[in-house]
Amino acid sequence: MSANAPGTPLPQGIGRITPGWLTIVGLAAVAVALGIYAYSLEASEGLVATGLRDLGTMGGATWGLYVTFVVYFGGVAFGGVTLAALIRLLRLDELRPIGRLGQLLTVVALLLAAIAILVDLGQPLRGLVNLFLYARPQSPFFGTFTIVLSGYLFASLVYLYLDGRRDAAICARTPSRLRWLYRLWAAGYGDSPGERARHRRASFWLAVAIVPLLVVATSTLGFVFGLQAGRPGWYSAVQAPAFVTLAGVSGVGLLIVLAAVVRRVAGSEDRLGLNVFRRLGGLLLGLVLVYLFLLATELFTATYTGEVVERRLTEALLWGEFAGIFWAALAFFLLSLALLLWQALTRRWSIPLLVVAGLLVNLAAIGKRYLIVVPSQTHGQLLPYPEGSYTPALGEFAVIAGLFGLGVLLIALFMKVFPIVELPEEEVPAGA
Amino acid sequence: MPKYAMAVDLERCQGCRACVEACKVENNTSQGVFWMHVFRLEEGEYPETRISFLPRPCQHCDNAPCVKVCPVGARYKRIDGLVLTDYERCIGCRYCEVACPYGVNFFNWKQPAENYYMDWSDPDIQPASGGEVPPYRNPELDGRYGSEQKQVAGGGHFRGIVEKCTFCVQRIEKGLQPACVTVCPVQALVFGDLEDQESPVSTYLRGKQSFRLLEETGTEPRVHYIGGRTPGTDVREIEPVEGRVGA
Ligand code: SF4
Ligand code: SF4
Repeated sequence: MSANAPGTPLPQGIGRITPGWLTIVGLAAVAVALGIYAYSLEASEGLVATGLRDLGTMGGATWGLYVTFVVYFGGVAFGGVTLAALIRLLRLDELRPIGRLGQLLTVVALLLAAIAILVDLGQPLRGLVNLFLYARPQSPFFGTFTIVLSGYLFASLVYLYLDGRRDAAICARTPSRLRWLYRLWAAGYGDSPGERARHRRASFWLAVAIVPLLVVATSTLGFVFGLQAGRPGWYSAVQAPAFVTLAGVSGVGLLIVLAAVVRRVAGSEDRLGLNVFRRLGGLLLGLVLVYLFLLATELFTATYTGEVVERRLTEALLWGEFAGIFWAALAFFLLSLALLLWQALTRRWSIPLLVVAGLLVNLAAIGKRYLIVVPSQTHGQLLPYPEGSYTPALGEFAVIAGLFGLGVLLIALFMKVFPIVELPEEEVPAGA
Repeated sequence: MPKYAMAVDLERCQGCRACVEACKVENNTSQGVFWMHVFRLEEGEYPETRISFLPRPCQHCDNAPCVKVCPVGARYKRIDGLVLTDYERCIGCRYCEVACPYGVNFFNWKQPAENYYMDWSDPDIQPASGGEVPPYRNPELDGRYGSEQKQVAGGGHFRGIVEKCTFCVQRIEKGLQPACVTVCPVQALVFGDLEDQESPVSTYLRGKQSFRLLEETGTEPRVHYIGGRTPGTDVREIEPVEGRVGA
């Protein structure tokens, strides 16, 4: 194997620290610091520092912003790795350049979801031990902790690793400070045609195995809520399909945003061309349509046949305390739908518009997750408790901001050590 | 093996909330925590209003959703029917709290010792207290109960875990009645063993019409209500208890 001439830089700006990158990393680090500070206050005072309180006589919501984001990050993770697997499975070669981004997004989002669970626990240290020591499969939470976290995490790490071997082998040809890493990662992979074929087969079968697993796992996330007969608004059969669809929506939406950023900063305009975005846009359009259909079904049943408490809950959503979030989320969904439809119909796709749509659906998804988690607690009591209320404390927002900062930080770091967009085939000398 | 249950006679209950107080004293529950709660309800429009009272302990459900959802098995059902929380195992996820349809679970939002009703730092009480803050724990509530020998009695053990009514396990195991039952001035609460035909609860329930709260949710509660009816949907709570815990 021929080494590249010394002096040839690694692709996609790896290892080169630019002022722009430093700014982003700096901002992200500030957010993380803020989050850590907010959590340290919470850790010393107890969860009393949050806006959460008990249901019933205390008139609060005991699950709030943190659980909202556990569900949101879990959904994003699902979207990322499922898309990566589908690319292999359905041989969507056009989309291959974003495969790694999808896998990375999953790993990062899972980590954030796990942290969000831990900050929500009253006894986080015990949680780390007991959740594994005394795991009970009967609890729908078991699905979240084990299948979702470890299953996804395992699948996406294996995926990231296997899919990255070829690029690692390519990078290892260039002398650099990171060469040891590339050599380790490539683990003897030399990218001969035979190896390439085997590699392809392996990732195909891996995809066959994980897609159903992922759907099941995300459904269990829906079951965390959907199986609770005593909580109006949660007990519903559409809960699981709606969870999976919304997960796809937020995952694909975020991927569009990330891909647009990567395209700019990693100089991959040619690899991440308009055709990639067009495909993603079409996918997002389909998912948004399905989701809106499920949402309409759910709302219609709740308003039409719903029992008294169920109706009261719907009223709080449509006109009451949560109306702002509800209508904003709906408006965001519809706006992004309009943006996507317009582009699809005129066949004129534009990356900025797609990014806007991607951001909108993510904001809407967060809003929708919040509306699943909170109102059923404050307005869904079956016994005659007074209506409750929940306003997240500043600290909760800071912790969430810290989580996003951590996500940005991790992705930015990854971009400086490894090609975030799969290297093109042509860079491999034929028959090498 | 006994099959513990409670009967609540809504015709007798006068809404005095003595049981609520007795429970707080017996179990050392901290501010804002009501293992036993008595709803004081009003229905209809003035002058056609109707007042009713509804005591609400934990229902010690036979098919308890809180037990089903607990990810670590801290919430469990004993063979005698008590639904208890293992304070040493609970991780404070509060899943039991959202799963329970009766709103009987309470989380320790802050250090229990910082959550007294009395402000022990108040200078006015310093002469009497000598600057001491009484310990929150007490040996009886810290003991281990049942064949499992788990720490399940009393409230306010640690910050960050969930607690709820235990039917006063520490009293039952000594052959005593739960504190709320003992203290009720009109004997609206009756406790005992359903297996034993001669127990107070069996004799009290015999031949009387009874119902259980929110039976449609499939929880199979162990608390039987006599007289009255399930609160309708247009009832209002006239005197909610002071419940919020401040930061
Ligand atoms: S009333 Fe609630 S806490 Fe008590 S056993 Fe039933 S579900 Fe569990
Ligand atoms: S808060 Fe404690 S008892 Fe309740 S479900 Fe979580 S671990 Fe179990």
